[in-house]
Amino acid sequence: MASDFNINDLQLKYLELETLLDITNELNSFDQISVLLQEILVKSCGVLNASSGLILIEDDNSDVLHIGADFNIDISVLKGLIFNKRKGIISEINESRKALNIKIEDDSFLSKTQCKFGLIAPFLDKKNLVGVIILFDKESRQGLSPFHDSDANMLSAIATQASVAYNNIKLIENIKEAKTFNDNVMQSIVTGVFTTNLMGEINHINRAAIAIINLDKENVLGNHYEYVFESNEFITQLITKCELESVTISESQILLECNGKSTTVNISVSPLMNDANEPIGSVVAMEDLSNLDKLKSTFKKYVSKQIVDQLLENDEMLNLGGQEQEATILFSDIRGFTSMSETMAPNEVVETLNDYFNLMIEIIFKYNGTLDKIIGDALMVIYGAPNSTEQDTENSVLTAIEMQEKLIQFNQDRIINLKQPIKIGIGINRGKVISGNIGSKQQMNFTVIGDSVNLASRLCSVAAADEIIVSDAVWKKVKHLKSFKSKKLTPVKVKGKVKPIEIKEIQYNRPEFQYELAYEKIEQFLLLNLPQQYTYHTIEHIRDVVIQSERIAKKEKIEKSVIQDIKLAAWLHDVGYIWEPQRHEARGAEYATAILNEMKFPKSKISLITGMIMATKIPQSPKNHYEKIICDADLDYLGRADYDTNSNNLLQEIELVKKLTPKEWLQIQEKFLKAHIYFTTTSQKLRNQNKNKVLNKIQQQLKNN
Amino acid sequence: MSDFITSIKENNSIVIIETNGYLNNVGGEAVSAVVYEKMAQGQTKFLINMAGTKIVNSIGVSILIEIIEKLQEVNGKIGYYNLAPIVAKTFNIMGLTKYSTVHETEEAAVNEL
Repeated sequence: MASDFNINDLQLKYLELETLLDITNELNSFDQISVLLQEILVKSCGVLNASSGLILIEDDNSDVLHIGADFNIDISVLKGLIFNKRKGIISEINESRKALNIKIEDDSFLSKTQCKFGLIAPFLDKKNLVGVIILFDKESRQGLSPFHDSDANMLSAIATQASVAYNNIKLIENIKEAKTFNDNVMQSIVTGVFTTNLMGEINHINRAAIAIINLDKENVLGNHYEYVFESNEFITQLITKCELESVTISESQILLECNGKSTTVNISVSPLMNDANEPIGSVVAMEDLSNLDKLKSTFKKYVSKQIVDQLLENDEMLNLGGQEQEATILFSDIRGFTSMSETMAPNEVVETLNDYFNLMIEIIFKYNGTLDKIIGDALMVIYGAPNSTEQDTENSVLTAIEMQEKLIQFNQDRIINLKQPIKIGIGINRGKVISGNIGSKQQMNFTVIGDSVNLASRLCSVAAADEIIVSDAVWKKVKHLKSFKSKKLTPVKVKGKVKPIEIKEIQYNRPEFQYELAYEKIEQFLLLNLPQQYTYHTIEHIRDVVIQSERIAKKEKIEKSVIQDIKLAAWLHDVGYIWEPQRHEARGAEYATAILNEMKFPKSKISLITGMIMATKIPQSPKNHYEKIICDADLDYLGRADYDTNSNNLLQEIELVKKLTPKEWLQIQEKFLKAHIYFTTTSQKLRNQNKNKVLNKIQQQLKNN
Repeated sequence: MSDFITSIKENNSIVIIETNGYLNNVGGEAVSAVVYEKMAQGQTKFLINMAGTKIVNSIGVSILIEIIEKLQEVNGKIGYYNLAPIVAKTFNIMGLTKYSTVHETEEAAVNEL
């Protein structure tokens, strides 16, 4: 009986063959290398009685192998080791290309596994080693032992099969990668491209071609070109001719009418050949000429209409070279932008610069400047080249003043949105420059160069935030104009000049605080940031308080200038809800102080506004006439016909925190209305009567309850 | 309990051993240790839930054969369920299924053993 139980060599051989067969059968079913390698390793260990195993596989384009699969082994001991094809046991197998029985202690890396015996076989791609399979410690009932020669043959057979499967998967991966790459290239090119097969069916099309054809991809792919270009006989004739004659045909300025869209294109049709140079279809490329128009308009946006028009009229201007002439050069630069941008997210940096440049470039073109360069956050603008006028220098100074003025308004918005304001310094110089198209034939730019340009740049560096520094040459050109005022500054020594340079600071009036603009920006800020869950402290409530404040203030004969501040306080009185609803008045006052300080508001006015915000805290405690006005505006609804709507909104908001019974809510309202008083005569006259009616109604409801 | 044995329980006087990992020399020894200990306590019927064992080698199989021989001395039985196809195939080729039983589920195994 016992002899029946012995596992004999025949059974083991049978098992080996079955395993090899299994591996062969299953290999083609894997599409992931990691899964394939793991499966091969596990089965190899099982069939050859290995206690553990490892597969090392190539890193692309290097001689280094990494762990592709492991079984029953602590691979942490191998972490950080570099398995080089040219070193150790792997280099031996790289040379022998056959399975080897090894002593693990002979290999400095593998010995870290604490195993004793090994069997290693190569994975080959043609003649190249792409990996190895290593089995460790053959098991027997007597303990661990070396592997047999027959095991080496078996592992070689498995590794050969595995190599084929591995190389197949790699090949498929490479094909997929190449296809994706080709698709991406095809999709990203701006020229519309599609291909047809021998049947005339469109089998590939890129995004640009779909846009031109104006059909969904699904309605194009698989359809004959004569169907897709049904109403464009000229196109179908071109493709047919290409198919019949195997020649490349190009036509310019063809008007395509596709599904209601007209596009002018340059078209080129070429035969598509296979490796044996046999035709397999056609490839059609269509250049959308409307893009050229877009390009022209973009070009105008950034390099001044004047230059574009001259270039279009006069081809000679495109020649490299230049001429010497007088020009005025303006440089502007954002102060501290590098450190500011370090605290900003990359997209915020780009957004800020785009907003800033859009604003500035508009002003530059308004005064006929040519935007020469945008260098990081700096701008270089030319006045008087290639064509000069008498107003060039005047225009440059007007540009600089308007840039500084507009920036104050721009910053008002940034400050309200708790963003750092942008400050710029501007330098202007006038003098001889060399102007022309400078660069290579591939890329040339119209620009000016010379000492005068360098000096303008140096003056820009001298200018502090908000300053406009001009050279004496500039001032001499504009000093007769009464509208400009300047302050003489100490001459400065600049790099490249022996003598200190005479400079002037152009004086300009800071525009007054734009109340209406501020209201608008604060309203946008509130709309964007007020918590959505509140039903009473909403933008509608704030708008109402602004309206009532203005109305009451006018009735109370408050000066116009103060009414502006009362309205500002009304806009800000609940802004604190964004951050701290519990102490929103104090938080709102802090925000108001911060933004108004930044906008150079007088301290006395800031104090007036924050006082009004704080006065709205319940129980209201106004200390002056203005505070009384905003307090009455804040609770104006108590004596209005829409009391019920407002009180319901307030109840909903309270119930976000605490549920109230109807009776409790009535009691709260009664207590509040009894305690409340209107402080201004205007509100007392207009609202008291109705407020008492509301109170009576609530008291009646309480009695009935 | 070794890492290879993840649980031991009894169902209807049958000891059910759940395994996880490679049924090799180490795994086989772990199973035999549990079986012999339970046999010493008078247990004679054993089931191995091999859901967590995806590979087996001939040493593991030979240990199972040793267990079968010991069980036969006391008219005991051993069966297996939740076998991976490759494990089932190995058991079959090695002749193990002639002297022990393979079942689909624990319920079937308990009823049939």
